[in-house]
Amino acid sequence: MNTKDNSGDVRLSGISKTYDNGFTAVQPLDLTVPQGSFFALLGASGCGKTTTLRMIAGLEEPSSGTVFLGDQEVGHLPPYKRPVNTVFQSYALFPHLDIFENVAFGLRRRGIKSVKQQVVDMLDLVQLGEQARKKPHQLSGGQQQRVAVARALINHPKVLLLDEPLGALDLKLRRQMQLELKRIQTEVGITFIHVTHDQEEAMTMADTVAVMNAGRVEQLGSPADLYENPNTTFVANFLGTSNLIEAEVDSKSGDEIILKAGGGKLVLPEARCSAPTTTGGKVLVGVRPEKITLTHADDAGEIPAGRNRITGKIADSSFIGVSTQYVIDSPVCPEFEVYAQNIDRDSRLRPGADVVLHWNPAHTFGLDAAQDIDAGVDLEEEAA
Amino acid sequence: MAVVRWFKRHLVVIAGMITLGYLLLPNVIVTVFSFNKPKGRFNYEWQQFSLDAWKQPCGVADMCGSLSISLQIAVWATIGATLLGTMIAFALVRYRFRARGAINSLIFLPMAMPEVVMAASLLTLFLNMGAQLGFYTILIAHIMFCLSFVVTAVKARVMSMDPRLEEAARDLYAGPVQTFVRVTLPIAAPGIAAGALLSFALSFDDFIITNFNAGSTVTFPMFVWGSAQRGTPVQINVIGTAMFLVAVLLVLFSMAITNRRNKVKA
Repeated sequence: MNTKDNSGDVRLSGISKTYDNGFTAVQPLDLTVPQGSFFALLGASGCGKTTTLRMIAGLEEPSSGTVFLGDQEVGHLPPYKRPVNTVFQSYALFPHLDIFENVAFGLRRRGIKSVKQQVVDMLDLVQLGEQARKKPHQLSGGQQQRVAVARALINHPKVLLLDEPLGALDLKLRRQMQLELKRIQTEVGITFIHVTHDQEEAMTMADTVAVMNAGRVEQLGSPADLYENPNTTFVANFLGTSNLIEAEVDSKSGDEIILKAGGGKLVLPEARCSAPTTTGGKVLVGVRPEKITLTHADDAGEIPAGRNRITGKIADSSFIGVSTQYVIDSPVCPEFEVYAQNIDRDSRLRPGADVVLHWNPAHTFGLDAAQDIDAGVDLEEEAA
Repeated sequence: MAVVRWFKRHLVVIAGMITLGYLLLPNVIVTVFSFNKPKGRFNYEWQQFSLDAWKQPCGVADMCGSLSISLQIAVWATIGATLLGTMIAFALVRYRFRARGAINSLIFLPMAMPEVVMAASLLTLFLNMGAQLGFYTILIAHIMFCLSFVVTAVKARVMSMDPRLEEAARDLYAGPVQTFVRVTLPIAAPGIAAGALLSFALSFDDFIITNFNAGSTVTFPMFVWGSAQRGTPVQINVIGTAMFLVAVLLVLFSMAITNRRNKVKA
């Protein structure tokens, strides 16, 4: 693919959607998805991600703003005139047509006569060559999903829109299809916009993830960037798990901020704090559960200097094979989560044991304390 | 004990057979008596085997004429009711308009109302309008009562249709007309077909409403009724058997097609 070609760029300009009943699904939104990228819109149900997708497809009319594909404004075009195709949630395969005719549908509607070779090639790409004459209901969920992808891709759209395409599949198949979709995207080089409520799916597949909440994009970035540097409590809690501690700014030294939390002190790199920091002001200090090391209180002396420390008591532990997940009851945070790899298991780390939690200050991030500390918690379960 | 156990094990089959027998017995009698050679004018007692009636199905005066009228009315009533009913069903499911609720419930009225009442009120209407009773008044009446059956059958189908299918069609370059012809209509087809078949059957054998509004026109059911007072020609059994056979053949034919299709696919 020519990297200078920007005809597959999707640009949303001030696009918004308010339904007749007054509900605003999407607040005015500006967004650019570059040509050839795998872009994910991630959020809980009702956050406006599907509405955004449908406005790009033309299935929903924006209340304001418009959509550009490359340099062409397509906001006024009906869906059948947009060079965009959609893989629908639950696939929406035509039940009265066989697999071959489902895949050939788009080509035939555009008046292309010799479709055979293209359809055969496309079915081979999704490894369904032998199922061509079956009806959709005779295929498994995973196969139907691949037909839906093939039916959209055969038209060589500038952009492929995927609306929760893996939602109906079981976990194992979903993993497999994630890799498969990623492979297809790399192979065809088309811009993919993927809507999902599954943060793991978004992070596995996408180059860029936009986290949506209540009709707004909360944060946009690469999966690693979003995970390591969340800007809001919603992103911190929705993407993986975060331990958030309320702390007070004590002083600054160089590019580090010293914070008071409970009785102890924590160090936070200034570059990783998205909140304003004035001495005496509050911030939320965050750290991911897997960055933390757990040491029994008896060995507290062996912890190297310069690490952030918190004391606490193990409230609960659950062994899940590759790691053990601890819930620590600590004065600064009632339910502190720690994931420890099962390399050298310390048999003293049982519920009731006094422990010290410590981590490299570089893994600490700071958030504005004015927001809801629990935003985004448990949303994923509701959506799933 | 063994008998009881055998009975328990085959209960479903036995019940099925009894039901089938109950349903088919009248048809069997009709068929058997189509080969009868009755002594008097009434074909109610078995006398001797004969192919006479089968050789001359139209041997009775006016019978085939009435059969032809009935078939014509049934065909036109089916076409009219299916077209109108399908459109009404789509309108009721897809659009929100004034009086939608009223239409939705009133459309069932012809199904619920006693036929005699409907027949009498239709006759009153036609007479007050000064309409000439005959073929067209029968046709209008038949379309009216077939409509509700078509609407019911098509509505169920359209309501259960995934709206995303039409969105998918539009997304795949099908304009509004193409979407309707290529996706909406084929998916609604089983409902439309069911409505059409019902219409045909109901129209063909309707007696009460037809009798009130027929004027001097005589349909097949009216002919059978009329002749039953004076004597029943064997040919009536012949026509009845033939219709039954056509229906059975149609069912077998469609089953064979479905079977073959499934076999090819598998």
